[in-house]
Amino acid sequence: MAKKLDRAEVKKALERKVVQTYRPVRPKTQLGFIHHNVDCIGCRACEIACKDKNGLPPGPRFRRVMYIEGGAFPDVYAYKVNMSCNHCAVPACLPTCPSGAIWKREDNGVVDIDSTLCIGCRRCEAACPYGAPQWDPVEKTVKKCNMCIDELEAGRKPYCVMACMMRVLDIGPIDELAAGTWKTTALGPNEKPVRQVKNMANPELTSPSIVFIPHSKGRVDGKS
Amino acid sequence: MKQAISAVVLVAAVAIGFIVWIAGDIAPKAEFVPHVAATQPAEESDYLRAAYSPLHFRPAIESATDGQCLACHREVIEDKVRAASPAGQKAELMRAWYQQTSTYSGEQDTFHRRHLVTPLAKQLMSLQCNTCHQGHDPREEAQGASATSIQQDDTAFTLRKQVNPETTCLKCHGEFPWQLMGMPGPWEEHKVAFGNNCMTCHAAIRTKRHEVIYLIAEAIERAGKDGADACYGCHGGRSWYRISYPYARTPWSGMPAEVPEWAKYRPTQSETRFLKRAPSLPQGTRP
Repeated sequence: MAKKLDRAEVKKALERKVVQTYRPVRPKTQLGFIHHNVDCIGCRACEIACKDKNGLPPGPRFRRVMYIEGGAFPDVYAYKVNMSCNHCAVPACLPTCPSGAIWKREDNGVVDIDSTLCIGCRRCEAACPYGAPQWDPVEKTVKKCNMCIDELEAGRKPYCVMACMMRVLDIGPIDELAAGTWKTTALGPNEKPVRQVKNMANPELTSPSIVFIPHSKGRVDGKS
Repeated sequence: MKQAISAVVLVAAVAIGFIVWIAGDIAPKAEFVPHVAATQPAEESDYLRAAYSPLHFRPAIESATDGQCLACHREVIEDKVRAASPAGQKAELMRAWYQQTSTYSGEQDTFHRRHLVTPLAKQLMSLQCNTCHQGHDPREEAQGASATSIQQDDTAFTLRKQVNPETTCLKCHGEFPWQLMGMPGPWEEHKVAFGNNCMTCHAAIRTKRHEVIYLIAEAIERAGKDGADACYGCHGGRSWYRISYPYARTPWSGMPAEVPEWAKYRPTQSETRFLKRAPSLPQGTRP
């Protein structure tokens, strides 16, 4: 004979079972970007290639080339910092999403999004320290870079990388990019990549998968 | 004779083709219609005037009221989430992992509304627009680039991101620093041992807390007595980031004289602009 359900006990058991914590995905390989801040000429071909590929209306920009200029004559400087989604090791956008539209791929660490599941609460947009999730005011949903996952799966590189005429933007396993051991045109001889440049949010927040070859005025590590 | 006729026909054909080509080139053309309508000069100047309103810069933004900000940025409060995603997933049926706690209530709502107008926000917080947004020159993609703008030596905004999460969001969305508290492990794994109540220890330790203008300290203390969910919500339960916020070590009655190693470089009071009493400011001015 079936035991009568103890509803109070069931309720307690359910409360115990309901997931109230979040455990980040640890991918087999974490892909990331490398960008040479000094050799980049700021042509924005990467931005346009990205917008073209993703069919973006005016407004959202998955990839953003930022012009950093300053100083006082004769000590003036100009360089570019180029970021899209940094496909963080522990992304801040992912746990905020109530619809499960954002997820991290276990094979290559790409932080992917299915914007058809988005309800436009814009939490991810606010939580990202690097401004990666982009609001589409027409569809009222958030969209973001997925490192052209279809291209990656076809054995090719993302559109932004392929569009870079200076070859200063590239992808690769972030550990090897950071160590300077990954063969790439974005890294010159005797250059050492860094995780953070001036004005960039603290990488300890989310461990972004991006490294830069910094301008001497853009360094935060005190080196020249 | 045959050749002469062919030559005449050929010359005539070339001449007619040339005349048609020239006529087509000089004929009036249909007006070019751009895909994006051009902005009217008046609209453009209004937009620029608004973008460079003193309210977007320091010091005016420091005393700006929510009413002044929301006069233009109405969408911050008025916009709601979609009833369903483009794929048809209904917002009312969604619940994220952090929305399963006893303190979370109500329908899905936007980020700004959750922080400003929902019942829990009104009960425990007193956030204003300029609690997070501290303004910057719209021309700049990084602070300090423009010689004419007011220098910002803090980290109020970062590379086009208008708010630096490390100095704002991290206060309530950082990791739970269980190692510093001498706990055996993360709170969610050991909360039962502490009766799921932070007051088990914090009735005596670090008793002066939340004394800043963007929080309602009394309401938070009351909520904390009812259970740990209210405390944990902002102290690890919604940790989007992998580090903890280094809170100011405000002295409390019975505080040990010896400062632990991890707290040696922490300030002893919150940022001046958030302090409840700022004697140097004139009456009626928001710090």
